[in-house]
Amino acid sequence: MRRTLTGLALATVLSAAALGPAAAQDKAPIKLGTALDFTAVYTFVTAEYSQGQRDYASLLNAKGGIKGHSVEIMVVDTGNQPQRGIEAYERFKNEGAVLVDFLSTPVSRAVVPRALADGMNVITLFHGRSDAADGTVFPTIFPMTPAYWSQATAIVKYIDDQEKGDLKGKKIALVMIDSPFGREPLPVFEELCKRLGYEFSAFPYPSPGNEQSSAWTQLRRFKPDWTIIWGAGGGQSVSVRDAISNGIPLDRLASVIWLSETDANIIGAGQTKGILRFEGVAYGKDLPVIQAIEQEVVAKGKGAGPAEKVGGTYYNIGVASMALFGEGARLALEKEGEPLTPAKLKKGLESIKDFTADGLLPPVTITGEDHQGGGRGRIAAWDGSKWVPKSAWAPAYQDIVWDLIHKSAEEFKASSK
Amino acid sequence: MFYRLAGIRHTRYAADRQLWPVPVDRAQIAALTAFAAAAPLLLSNLYLGSYLLPWIIWSTAALGLNLLMGWAGQIHLGYAAVMAIGAYSTIHIVRAGLPFELAIIGGGLLSAVIGLVFGFAALRVKGLYLAISTLAMQYLVDWIVSHVQAISGGSQATLQAPAFRVLGLPVAGDMMRYYVALAVCLVVTSFLLNVGRTSFGRALAAVREKDFAAAIVGVDPFYFKLLAFWCSSFVGGIAGAVLAFCYYRAVTPEQFNLDVSIQAVAMVIVGGLGSVIGSYLGAALVLLAPIMLNNLVAALARAGALPMSEEVLSHIPLILYGGLIVGFLLFEPLGLAKVYDNLRNYFLVWPFRHARR
Repeated sequence: MRRTLTGLALATVLSAAALGPAAAQDKAPIKLGTALDFTAVYTFVTAEYSQGQRDYASLLNAKGGIKGHSVEIMVVDTGNQPQRGIEAYERFKNEGAVLVDFLSTPVSRAVVPRALADGMNVITLFHGRSDAADGTVFPTIFPMTPAYWSQATAIVKYIDDQEKGDLKGKKIALVMIDSPFGREPLPVFEELCKRLGYEFSAFPYPSPGNEQSSAWTQLRRFKPDWTIIWGAGGGQSVSVRDAISNGIPLDRLASVIWLSETDANIIGAGQTKGILRFEGVAYGKDLPVIQAIEQEVVAKGKGAGPAEKVGGTYYNIGVASMALFGEGARLALEKEGEPLTPAKLKKGLESIKDFTADGLLPPVTITGEDHQGGGRGRIAAWDGSKWVPKSAWAPAYQDIVWDLIHKSAEEFKASSK
Repeated sequence: MFYRLAGIRHTRYAADRQLWPVPVDRAQIAALTAFAAAAPLLLSNLYLGSYLLPWIIWSTAALGLNLLMGWAGQIHLGYAAVMAIGAYSTIHIVRAGLPFELAIIGGGLLSAVIGLVFGFAALRVKGLYLAISTLAMQYLVDWIVSHVQAISGGSQATLQAPAFRVLGLPVAGDMMRYYVALAVCLVVTSFLLNVGRTSFGRALAAVREKDFAAAIVGVDPFYFKLLAFWCSSFVGGIAGAVLAFCYYRAVTPEQFNLDVSIQAVAMVIVGGLGSVIGSYLGAALVLLAPIMLNNLVAALARAGALPMSEEVLSHIPLILYGGLIVGFLLFEPLGLAKVYDNLRNYFLVWPFRHARR
């Protein structure tokens, strides 16, 4: 009994320590909160993404911070559970964070109402609500990159260009996960179908996508000229494998953004040659920002993770998220003055103009109305060892995307009354 | 020591039958209730809004499931689906213009009706077979919610909880939300506390122990199994509605998926089947332990005690959490409620080992 009681007492003390205040603070660092999913669903992205974010923050700090302020990233695991994300969000808010990041659609959806009420900035790169691009309805939600609808239009634009602008009678198939995420691009493809005259058909497979053979058998009967895959995580490599075994030419198979060198290597780097994907952030180490990280952070042993991951798809997305934040914070401090608050950072982010982070990103311009940043993206192909851009950074059919954004944002506005 | 039972003699049946015959227990309950009522003044918004509030809502839900699993002995693997029905229908009813008080009851009733349909399965199958048929309910509801945009709220599959009033007062801010959740929790708790003392509770116990034996002594298992599903689904629906309005403020299908059902079952089993306090303790362990372990590991890492990568670090709480659950169930298979009971029994007769009964 005594042992039990001692154990209980110890547990109480430990949990009290866990609830206690954070470690000592430097002189006014800028704090960011990232509550990511390291352990449940998005594990294929999170580790590299977070590594990129922290390495870029180390780079900023090595260069003297943003206007003299160091950047401190708080990282915590949510296991993709909304209630843990909410707890983390409230904790970040208490600790004075000016911006939070969740990299998870369920968690960011659960936090959006709170963040809007509190005026906290949330970044949702390449995920989350597509309609958050409407800055007038979602003042503090910042996708800053092409949302899923823009990714869909970019892929169709590329196909249209390859077919010399004549898609009449061509067949485009979409193989997607049967979830809100998978169904999200459908209105885009249907609208473009009316405009460009191709034949469109969708083949959903059940979540989580470990088993897709029936969708692909049906697809074979449809005999598509172009195939688009829309999934994430483990389902993506299953899609590509099924595509190969059903004889779909890979240079006519395009994916949503969530397809990386890791997926290609799982299937076999050589076998996946030619496969296309949407790209919103440049790939590889051959970029000034990544070179700077290599020299200033990784070479000095301050890297946040394995050195071979530097320059990877998701690593670079992490770097891009922090680069955009850094630019926004710099502009905010210049224009609005000290100290940096969430409201000032919002204005800073909204004054980002033609920012490319030295070629890492397409030119991003964020305004009070457009939080998507212009919707520019490109298509890249896997050549067996790296992703090679096949088109230039360009926005595609943004009128369709913005019609959908406005419609959906209006619904949101009406529903939150 | 605390209890001082010597000299307490109940001379009337009413006194002997009261919920807490021991004065110290009554004092404890009074102190806890006073703390719960004063919590918004005592705790910071962080602890109120992201620890206490979800805890009492989940305890309400666990109580509802415990009624079915602990009292009536019927397993349910689709409890999150029941909560989802309550959450979605309450939001839609409030949007249609009805007051929140009516809407939440409507949400509860709809959950109860749909839960009852699946309760019919319980009339034919037991144990693992019932587990599978309730699992089917989970998948069915998940599928319908995420495929019918009229329910789930458009292409983003997110439905905002509208602003609402309770008894004429606008509910905004953590304090008001907390009091709404607390009120619902107190009503459900007092219902569950009293179930064991009613003929309904005794009938459930009889059905739980052996349904055909219950039938022989004149307790109709058909009726009471359905009643158990009805009541438990009603409570689940109300808990789901409170979760949507007071905590999440927006519902998405992922908030009520299979994982959540499993968590609810874990709350009941780890907490203790058929125990009110067990539902609270189980909800606390399943809901709050991962968060606290996470913060503990993060604090140790900040102090430099754990030199490893973020990826490894974030898995340590999972290992500890798993160990904690296995440990508790090995140490006391009857759940946390039994751990509490053992402690209480020890102190009831302290400093002796036994007492004259």
